Amino acid sequence: MSGGYPQPERSRGVIALVEQNCTVCMLCVRECPDWCIEIDSHVERKPAEGPGGRPHSVHVLDRFAIDYGLCMYCGICVEACPFDALFWAPDPGYSALDVRDLVHERDRLGEWVKDVPPGALPAGLELPGASEGSQPAAGGPAAD
Amino acid sequence: MSAPFEEAVLRAVLEPALGEGLLEVGTATGTAYADIAPHRWHDAVGAARDGLGLAWFDWLAGVDELEEGLRVVVSLLAPDGAHRGHGVLLRTLADRSAPQVPSLVDLFAGAAWHEREAHEMFGIDFAGHPGLRPLLLPDGFDGHPLRKDFVLASRVARPWPGEHEPSGRSRRRNLPPGVPEPGTWGAGEAGS
Repeated sequence: MSGGYPQPERSRGVIALVEQNCTVCMLCVRECPDWCIEIDSHVERKPAEGPGGRPHSVHVLDRFAIDYGLCMYCGICVEACPFDALFWAPDPGYSALDVRDLVHERDRLGEWVKDVPPGALPAGLELPGASEGSQPAAGGPAAD
Repeated sequence: MSAPFEEAVLRAVLEPALGEGLLEVGTATGTAYADIAPHRWHDAVGAARDGLGLAWFDWLAGVDELEEGLRVVVSLLAPDGAHRGHGVLLRTLADRSAPQVPSLVDLFAGAAWHEREAHEMFGIDFAGHPGLRPLLLPDGFDGHPLRKDFVLASRVARPWPGEHEPSGRSRRRNLPPGVPEPGTWGAGEAGS
């Protein structure tokens, strides 16, 4: 932050998406008070797995976008998500000259996961491509 | 290292300065707050600034509390000292029919923009403000869009993203939470 002012504790940066945890339940979209999340998906059939398994359908995410030109940083989506797919990351540095450039799609939302404090992520979460990185294991001992 | 303000500290400074004008002191989501009688608003903010080292004007906003009135909230923070980065909330309730509270511009020049915004968004009058021109709304905008009885055109014109059914699922028709059926919303809706 510029100047000598400390960042107030309530400061929020950006909402990061752990895409692998999203089940396309639409809860965040429907709870969002200012309608800034858009999701699209399609269905894929999965073959039976293991003994007694049955073929089943899964929702595959096609689009997950947050319009930070609309977002008011209330965090209701983060709280509403039952599958640990949305997290606060303390990055305030994504201003844009055009309001349309504040719509961030799932690839960018996913990149912000590396900024999420490790203690905030669910224990045992393994992120694709994170294993050989220098980043400490996100799972680690659960923080209080 | 740096600690939040406790209720007792806030009370110790405001009570001698305001007496009956201090209505309530409490703590919400970890921040101490004080409710102030509207006519003592300016005195309260001055006393908190000078008595608690709250020299950092953080923000000022309105809240539409419906029949209770229109609330004005100011967040003041301590830029240094033992409470560095922490602050308090001061709140006052203005009468809905003629909402007016004293302006804080002579205490914090930066309050001018916030009061202009609260003026256009909620219709709150800040007595003593040097010029309550619209800050964000376009010229000629009619109404106070953050009052709860104001119909937001974008809520009518734009489809609710929650109505979309991904993967082609079918579901009963959804309504966005908090948005009433068209035609039942807003004071003058019946005839329009």
